[in-house]
Amino acid sequence: MAIYVLRKLAFFLGAVFVASVAIFLLIRAAGGNVAAILLGKDATAEAINALSHTYGLDRPLPVQYYDWLVKMAQGDLGQSFRTKEMVSELVTERLGVSIPLALSGLLLGILIAIPVGTYAARNVGKLSGAVLALISQIGIAVPVFWAGILLSVLFGVRLGWLPTGGWTDWSQSWVGAIRSLVLPVLSLGLIMAAVLIRYVRSAVLDVMNQDYVRTARAVGMTRTQALLNVGLRNASLPIVTIIGLQVAELIGGTVIIEMVFSLPGLSRMILANVAAREVIVVQSTVMLIIVFVIAVNFLVDLLYGILDPRIRNAT
Amino acid sequence: MQSVNKLSRRLGALAVAFMAVAASGGAMAVSPRAAENKVVLIARQDPGTLDYVTSGLTALRLWIPANVVEPLVYFNKDGSVEPGVAESWTISDDKLTYEFKIRQTTFSDGTPVTAEDVIYSLNTMKTSPVGAYASAYNAVTAIEKVDDSTVKVTLSRPSQAFWAGMGSVAGLIQPEAAAASIATNPIGTGPYVLKSYTTNSTFEFEANPTYWGEQPSITSATVRIVTDGTAGLNALEAGEVDAVPVITIDLWEQLTNRELDKKFTLLTYPQIGEPTYAVLNQKLDPELRQALAMTLDRQSYNDAFGAAWGAENTCTFALPNQAWYAPETAESCPYPYNYEEATAKAAAYASTPLEYASLSDVPDLSLPADIMIPAMQGAGFNVTRNAIDLARYSQLIFQGRPPQFDITIMSGDADPAQFACPTPEAAGWSTYCSQPYTDALAAADSAPSDEEYLAKMQEAADILRKDAVIVPLIAKKGVGLFDADLKGFIEPRVLVAIEISKLHW
Repeated sequence: MAIYVLRKLAFFLGAVFVASVAIFLLIRAAGGNVAAILLGKDATAEAINALSHTYGLDRPLPVQYYDWLVKMAQGDLGQSFRTKEMVSELVTERLGVSIPLALSGLLLGILIAIPVGTYAARNVGKLSGAVLALISQIGIAVPVFWAGILLSVLFGVRLGWLPTGGWTDWSQSWVGAIRSLVLPVLSLGLIMAAVLIRYVRSAVLDVMNQDYVRTARAVGMTRTQALLNVGLRNASLPIVTIIGLQVAELIGGTVIIEMVFSLPGLSRMILANVAAREVIVVQSTVMLIIVFVIAVNFLVDLLYGILDPRIRNAT
Repeated sequence: MQSVNKLSRRLGALAVAFMAVAASGGAMAVSPRAAENKVVLIARQDPGTLDYVTSGLTALRLWIPANVVEPLVYFNKDGSVEPGVAESWTISDDKLTYEFKIRQTTFSDGTPVTAEDVIYSLNTMKTSPVGAYASAYNAVTAIEKVDDSTVKVTLSRPSQAFWAGMGSVAGLIQPEAAAASIATNPIGTGPYVLKSYTTNSTFEFEANPTYWGEQPSITSATVRIVTDGTAGLNALEAGEVDAVPVITIDLWEQLTNRELDKKFTLLTYPQIGEPTYAVLNQKLDPELRQALAMTLDRQSYNDAFGAAWGAENTCTFALPNQAWYAPETAESCPYPYNYEEATAKAAAYASTPLEYASLSDVPDLSLPADIMIPAMQGAGFNVTRNAIDLARYSQLIFQGRPPQFDITIMSGDADPAQFACPTPEAAGWSTYCSQPYTDALAAADSAPSDEEYLAKMQEAADILRKDAVIVPLIAKKGVGLFDADLKGFIEPRVLVAIEISKLHW
């Protein structure tokens, strides 16, 4: 198990390094310059060069990369060129929106998908199972932004039950903050559930035909008991894998949801700063997310070892 | 199965409870903020910085000038001039010396406004990297303190741009001591204090208790930044906000279809609008430019936005409130829409490749491009579209030397001085450079009387039209939707700034 963990850790660190180089180069390869955008279309080349120099953007790329990496390693994420705000503060502010949004969306998706997917698997070949499979297919086909707009129009504009968008900070009113998050979480969670239901259904179907489930039934367990006591643990491996992968998908989903519902979250901040070519804000924030996603997948890998002794013993 | 059913029931109950908690207190009365003298407004764009000295972004100019930071004077719609930070002023007969008597008041941070602050502010704007602001000071030779409350500005020649600038962003007055925090917390003498600015989220304004003028009726204003236009209109319709003061052209058709113009007060105003214009690179053969200009059916662009009340067809680079403006007529359009003639002329240029640079992330500009490119191609011109985002556009076109486009489309300030060009090497991003045009503008700026100024501006406008490099299509007016009970909106005086202090319930 120790070797397994070390191998995974080495892969984790390697992936983080490659990601850091990629994000550093990609944002620059996109072209554009924060100084040019800031100064507008009539700015002179001299003015732009002077501002670029002030920002340190005229330094050689390796120097900029090294400087950024060293500071990141020391916990200094840098500061915005335009507002001089520390990136760490910007990120912290927005995590208050993004973490509850992403985690609640994921949790909602899981809470819907596991029972519904299991139910659909147990009723395969029946009308109820087919209906659930169809609903799941429709859910997968629905773009998350469309779901968001529909929910916003229905619950916000037509019924007036919930805000159509915007954000009330936790410090102002926690009820207001929850109200701001309900529709975005529903949009995200329902679409995520639609995807997960298919995987849960397929995984449960797979284990239900396995010998150990039949053996469990033979020793007197009911179908449900066999499924819960023996089947689900084995079905959990592909489900955990897909949930791990969905974390990355989730971040993509929050970009759109934060736009549709005007939430001041991390994804919207990144998008705005990409457009403004705020390279330090973008690369530091994206790097944090990449580390998070890779860490989640690292933990998923570790979880494999715990869930399946064959994996840890094989390594 | 029983446990699954139990789980389903529990989940169902949880969902219902969740919705019940979420919906509690959700029903909104009409104009719930009226009784508290508050407003919630919507902005479509986040400026990213509030440093108006180094940023020319409209998203910033909408909210900070006039509300938080004031200019020396205000120019009213009727042409009258009102005091701002300057309590009074004198202009010498030769229009070479301006003396501003500074108001005895304090900035919103409590520090007194001094002559030194005014000198610092004017000098800062004089050296602003934003050309449109610095150009107001082209004729300025000295900015001096006369006494503790008087500042004298000396010019080398009369300048209309200088005087206009003192009522615009170029004339905003800030305390030198607070300059370091201008990007997030600009300080001024305006009727409001910026309580907070959260990027991509909100501006929060509160009435400035030390404001020198009458306290505004609206004591607190929140400006929500909603980049998705539909979401903004949804918020208005749901009663969560009281106005969307600036509605971009890509939403005009939607607001009409949703009949929001009937449910709310629709206001149009020319000051805050922008001309939309094609730019035909000056390196192209003049006859080619003229032929391309003839493919531009202005009415089709107007129709595409679905709201004739918001835009006028024009061949003049100006807005309807500018005296030299002319709507589209046979006289004012040297190369009017004539597809047959354009097609005939296109035959000679069929092998000339033309690159159309299109701003992909600006709906105002990508929609006209969708019309313009097929029209040019249909006439026989060899046009290919290069769709790029704003950052790349800034690099390739605004800052590219030479700018990398043959044809493009742009909209922006109706300031004709942006196309002034002393030498061909100094041509801006638009590639346009004309000595007669530049001379006419210079003569207009130095004009000692309003009549001479107008005559020279008309002359300049005519030169610009005939050169077929800057080819105007439509003049978009500013469009806003307001709650029917929210009154007092005035057309912007300080460039495009929305004056919250004029609003009242």
